Amino acid sequence: MNSKGKTDVLITGLAVLSAFGRGMGALAAGLDAGRPAFAPVTRFDVAGRRVGVAATLPGDPDLDDELWWLVDEACDEAKLGTAERAAAPLFLAVHGDPRLARSAPAERPRHGGSAFADGLARNTGLGPSRAYTSACVAASTAIADAAGIIARGEADRVVVAGGYLVEPDQYALFDAGRAFAADGQVRPFSAGRRGLLLGDGAGAVVLESAAASGERGIEPLARLAGWGRAGDAHHPCQPHPQGRGGARALEGARRRAGAEPGEVGYVNAHGSGTAQSDAAETLALRATLGGHAATVPVSSTKALHGQALEASGVLELAVTLHALRGGLLPVNAGYLEPDEQCALDLVLGAPRPAGPGYALSLNAAFGGANTALLLGAA
Amino acid sequence: MSGLTLTVLTSAEWPRDVEPPKLAGFVHSDFNPLIAAVAGRCLEAAPGPEPETAVMLVSDEGDIASAEHVAKAVDAGTRIGPLFFFQSVPNAVLGHVAAKWGLTGPVSCLCDTASALDSARGLLADEDARRVLLIDVTADPATAVLLSEGTT
Repeated sequence: MNSKGKTDVLITGLAVLSAFGRGMGALAAGLDAGRPAFAPVTRFDVAGRRVGVAATLPGDPDLDDELWWLVDEACDEAKLGTAERAAAPLFLAVHGDPRLARSAPAERPRHGGSAFADGLARNTGLGPSRAYTSACVAASTAIADAAGIIARGEADRVVVAGGYLVEPDQYALFDAGRAFAADGQVRPFSAGRRGLLLGDGAGAVVLESAAASGERGIEPLARLAGWGRAGDAHHPCQPHPQGRGGARALEGARRRAGAEPGEVGYVNAHGSGTAQSDAAETLALRATLGGHAATVPVSSTKALHGQALEASGVLELAVTLHALRGGLLPVNAGYLEPDEQCALDLVLGAPRPAGPGYALSLNAAFGGANTALLLGAA
Repeated sequence: MSGLTLTVLTSAEWPRDVEPPKLAGFVHSDFNPLIAAVAGRCLEAAPGPEPETAVMLVSDEGDIASAEHVAKAVDAGTRIGPLFFFQSVPNAVLGHVAAKWGLTGPVSCLCDTASALDSARGLLADEDARRVLLIDVTADPATAVLLSEGTT
C-alpha cells in the first residue's frame, strides 16, 4: 500500500437518502433519535415471504429520480459550476438498472449498468461515467478508486453516487436464502442476532483535491484520510472466520492516513447482524487496532437504517461523517446481551457524545470483499 | 486515467459455444461457471503464485439469466431456490476464484472494460495489489488476463 499521495482528498459535497427521509438532516435526526426505521413492507407483496419487514421510505420511489437530485444536491453543496461538473467523472454503485431483468433481450443493452450510469451522468451534467456492481462494497470501492485517482493527481474531482431502493427481487432472494432476521430487528454484535434486514439507501459525494476545492474557497466537510480494500480468499459468500481481509483493508486505510490505532475514535462497523460476519469483524478490529479495539466506540447503524446493499458505502459514509462532525456517535440498536465473540465497546442505549479525531467506516460483501474508509477533520 | 503501463503476464479465452464445466453451488446459468473456467485457464499459466492479486470482473448485465428467472418467479408468486441468493451478486463467483487460487487482493466488479483497466492500473499504482486478474465476460470470447505493472 502506497501512502504517498500528491494531495489530500476532501469531501466537499454530500447528499443522502435513507428510510429516515431525504437529506442529511433527516438522516441525522434518525440517527440521533436512535429508533430503528423498520416497518412492515407495503411497497410490494410480501405475503409469501418468511419475513415482511424492511426500512423504507413511503411509496415506491424511482431510483433514477432519486439519484438525479442526490447528485445535483451534492454538486450544489460543493458549488460546482457547469464546466466543473462536465469535467468530473461519475462513479455509480448500483445492483443494475432496476428494469433490466424484465427487459426483452433486444432491449437489454440499453439497461446495462454502463447505460444506467451514462444516463445519470447526462442528466446531471457530469463527465464520463462508470458503474460498480460489487455488492455491498460497490460504493465504498468506487469511493476508494476515486480517492486514489485524486491523490495521484489524475483528476481534480470525482462524483461518486450509489443507490439501492428495496424492491421485490432482491427481497425475495434474501428471503429465500434465509438471510433476514426473523424477529424483525437487526442486532449487530449481540447475542441472539438472527440476520439482516434491507433498507432504502442512496447518496452522492463529491471528492476533490485540496487545491481544486481551495480555488473555489469551499469549506470541506471532511478529509478522506485513508482507504483500503482486500479480499478474504476464503469462500464465495462466507467471511474469513478470522476477519483476514477486513483486517488488511482496515490496516491499509490506517497506514495510508498515517494514523495510529489510538487515534481512531469511532468505528461505523459493517455489522450485518449475522453470526459469522460480526464475529469475524470483531477479530479484524482486534488484529489491527490491538488493545484499542476494546475501547474504541463501535456501532453498526444497519440496525437503524437497514442494509442498503450496493449503496451501503455512501450511506454509511454519510453516517460516519455525521458522527465525526456532529459529536454524537450513533447507537448500536437492537442489542440484547453480550456475545463473547463480539467483545467491543459498543454504543448502546443512546447515542454517545464524543469528538473522534478519525472515524472509520467498514464494509464487507460476498466474495470475501472488504473495504475501509477513514475520515478525518478537513 | 492512470498513466501506469500494464503488462499482460498471461491471458486466456473461453469460446461462447463451449459449455464450461459445472461449478458446485452455482445453478441455472453459465455465467458463474464461465467466469471460473476462464479465470482458471488463465491462472494455470501464471508465472508462479502471487497472493497479492486483485480479482476484477467486467460484466454489464451480470447473471441476466438468473435475474430473469428470479423476476419471473417473483411475478408469478412461485418459489425461488436458496442457491439463487448466494449467486445473486457477481462477487460470489469471484470469491470462489479467490479462494481456489489463494488470491487475497481486492475483489470488485465493473460494467465496462476501459473503466476496469483504469481501476486495475490504480490498484497497481497504489500498491493495493501486485497483480490484477481481470475477467471480462463482455468480450466474445470471454477473456481473462493477469496484469502487472509494466517496466516501460
